[in-house]
Amino acid sequence: MINIALPKGRLGEKVYGLFASAGYEFPGMLEPGRRLVFVNETLNMRCFWVKPFDVPVYVERGTADIGAAGKDILMERNPNVYELADLKTGICSMAAAGVNGWHDDPSRTLRVATEFPNIAREYYAGLGRDIDIIPLRGSLELAPVLGLSDVIVDIVETGTTLRENNLSVISVIARLSARLIANKSSYKFKGEVIDEMIRRLPQ
Amino acid sequence: MFNPILTDEENYALTLRELYASKGCKFYRMSRFEEYDFYAGKKDFLSSGAILTFTDIDGRLMALRPDVTLSIIKHASPGKYYYYEKVYRPKASGSFREIPQCGIEFTAPGASDLEEVLRLAVMSLHSVADGRKCVLDVADAGLVAQYIPQDRKALILQYLSAKNIHGLHDINAPAEIIHLAELSGSFDGLTGLEEYGEEIRTDYSAVTTLSYYSGLVFKGYIEGIPEAVLSGGQYSVDGVSGVGFAVYLDAVTGGKSE
Repeated sequence: MINIALPKGRLGEKVYGLFASAGYEFPGMLEPGRRLVFVNETLNMRCFWVKPFDVPVYVERGTADIGAAGKDILMERNPNVYELADLKTGICSMAAAGVNGWHDDPSRTLRVATEFPNIAREYYAGLGRDIDIIPLRGSLELAPVLGLSDVIVDIVETGTTLRENNLSVISVIARLSARLIANKSSYKFKGEVIDEMIRRLPQ
Repeated sequence: MFNPILTDEENYALTLRELYASKGCKFYRMSRFEEYDFYAGKKDFLSSGAILTFTDIDGRLMALRPDVTLSIIKHASPGKYYYYEKVYRPKASGSFREIPQCGIEFTAPGASDLEEVLRLAVMSLHSVADGRKCVLDVADAGLVAQYIPQDRKALILQYLSAKNIHGLHDINAPAEIIHLAELSGSFDGLTGLEEYGEEIRTDYSAVTTLSYYSGLVFKGYIEGIPEAVLSGGQYSVDGVSGVGFAVYLDAVTGGKSE
């Protein structure tokens, strides 16, 4: 039995679309409802929806043999798992953004609002810039507009939300997409099935 | 074999100790603490840089051992040893935990000792696996050290240990490193281990650090246990070369409930 953790939400639905087109279908996965676990007896596989941030936890602990997670979540949590394939869906970037025309004053500590404190810390440490992390859960664009922070570190897809709030990208930190991850031990013993899945997925 | 008075951990430790003793290894007991400085200079050798400290009666800063290998290298005369100790390391939860380890160290090893250690590693896996499948991943850290560019060492090692081959391509890692990352199949770097077939495999995701590890490194897995239960390799510390491994008994017993 192969257990698969997919992230609840848009990215997970895109990844499930890839799985289904490769012949790995789990009836009922996309129907609205509260069911979380779906079994395909023929494939001997079980698929479940979990919170995007939790996918690496399920995989690292072996409850899921494989899973799909955004590169942002992998960079933030740094789980001890294999990252076997770039699924090339959900493509976007991790970027630092500020109010249009904003200039950094290196004599002050930079206030950074973000949902990804580890990514922000590592990025600014690499630049040698001292920062103060302001942890937020969503609506980050508000922070620099209202003066809560100088910049934000966040996922940027099309840039529309930034533009509408008079913000612009200062620098791109990383390019993101969905990745297929596997538990290290599971891959030792179920590697053939997992490799076959990867071969069949459109890449 | 199974003693009902003992806990699972103690039973596994007993089985392993009997195995190592039957192969002529001497028991090494850590009865004292090392000074903090002893470990502080060798943080790269330890799996975590975090060390639990306390002050001794005479004011010296001491450490609760994060590792046994370094003490064997420092105190014991060259030879074959086995140990069963608790080490103190931070776990993913963020706080220090007491981790039971049982392992062997061959210091100043001879020519056939490497093969014997690999053999013992597979036998150790089997003796705690309760009939489940086992795999020992082996890689040559020396080859990685030879080809890895110094400026991107940390990132390349991270991708190598994560089998992130698309990532290695993205950052233009040297072709030799990508080739190593793609290797698989039974390990053929040593003769005399053919009987183990696919149980001993070449897998470069076993390389997680290059400091002190100069030759073969290995990691052991048991089906149904989500993390590596055995880890070891050939090292060189303070001019002493050695080869050994530890079995993480907490991982072995932790996976038993599944």
